[in-house]
Amino acid sequence: MKIGNTEVKISFISIGVFVFFTLFLIIASLYNPVVQSNLIWMIPALFLLLIIPVGLNYLSRSQYKDLEPEYERVAKTVRVKLINENMVGKIVRINGVVERVHFQFLNRPQYSVADRSGAISVKMFTSPDEDIRVNDIVEVLGQVIRRYIVTGEPVINCVVIRKSPRQP
Amino acid sequence: MTGNPDNIPDSRHRYAEALVPLLAFGTTLAGIMLWQAGVRFEVQYAAAGGFFASCLLACIAWLRPRKDIVSLSTPIYGFLFLATPIDYAGGITLQLLYAIGLTALVIRLHYRFAPGIPGGSSGLDLPEPLKTYVGSIQDAFTGLGPAPGHSAAEAFFWFSGGEYRKAAEVSHAAVSRDGTFGPMARAFRILCQHADLLDKNLPRPKTFLTFLPDDAALLARPLPAAGDPDREFEVQLDNALLLLYSAAWHVSPADRPSLLALQGFAGKLLEA
Repeated sequence: MKIGNTEVKISFISIGVFVFFTLFLIIASLYNPVVQSNLIWMIPALFLLLIIPVGLNYLSRSQYKDLEPEYERVAKTVRVKLINENMVGKIVRINGVVERVHFQFLNRPQYSVADRSGAISVKMFTSPDEDIRVNDIVEVLGQVIRRYIVTGEPVINCVVIRKSPRQP
Repeated sequence: MTGNPDNIPDSRHRYAEALVPLLAFGTTLAGIMLWQAGVRFEVQYAAAGGFFASCLLACIAWLRPRKDIVSLSTPIYGFLFLATPIDYAGGITLQLLYAIGLTALVIRLHYRFAPGIPGGSSGLDLPEPLKTYVGSIQDAFTGLGPAPGHSAAEAFFWFSGGEYRKAAEVSHAAVSRDGTFGPMARAFRILCQHADLLDKNLPRPKTFLTFLPDDAALLARPLPAAGDPDREFEVQLDNALLLLYSAAWHVSPADRPSLLALQGFAGKLLEA
């Protein structure tokens, strides 16, 4: 789905929540007259379960789109091995192969991207433009952060991840 | 604790760790006894010990070289228990469960986040295998003044922090200065070239600076077989960085605290 120039994706978990409560409401309304009398506000509330995640995804996607040119300009292309705790806050570009993908169903994908020198966790707090799968060769632009904000190993807070024909 | 040279846990920290369950259970048990004695008060205030215990736990966790986010966040829950009115049975049950949780966390902190854990460092010495490499080339830096050592530490620091322009400038200045011996000067030149390329986002040039075959004894990693210039280019940089790290360690003791903070990066460079 597209809003303006922004591609908006809804996560499977949001759809799952919507379907669960829809079924729950249908069953409850069949057996409970109190529920039937409240359907007038329950049905719009049910659709909010879809509209709010879509709205949030649109906001985060458009924010990330705005950041992209700045990251393109500032990022330094580095090997994974050179990323360390002392680089927290720095904007980097890495090229590598996607080894693992987690949490795509939450629209908060987390990738493990490896190049010849090592592997690093790449976290994204919104859905990417492209559908990224294991073994894709990708270019990642993002900021080095700690895994748990103040502690943990360095990971990349990804702003852009895109398939690249270039070998890592 | 980090400054303890022999890895013997500081006794003050041990007392502080022991105080966590004492405080957490103590005030709740005192609250139960007061109620049994007929003194009626809001039972939420018996959670004061739990709150102070969680603050203490967070302080202990903060002082550790590796931070435990779970322990650091416990005062939030401690405050909630203290601030929220609750009935006697529910309040006491929650407080006791919270005290058990805090005790488990302090035990976890003691064993899993203590300094000197395998792969960690005592805080004053380098971990293996970095220690062996740095120690093995100590003789090469005999008679070297502190200035090149400090420049080596500075170059390593800026490079590790992604400040490639500064790393290139420091390396360039160090090469121009007298008192830098052959392999170290080559390490500075190699670092300067790589930092410059990284700063300008340029790819590997066809020809690049390398160490001499005579320097092999000082290098941490052997060069790969011919025919893989990308790998060779990367190994040259890793060797240059590690040589400068070792030089800084031996020649500039004042920079050791900074170098210790970067031991993780240096250790990673040593890995094949």
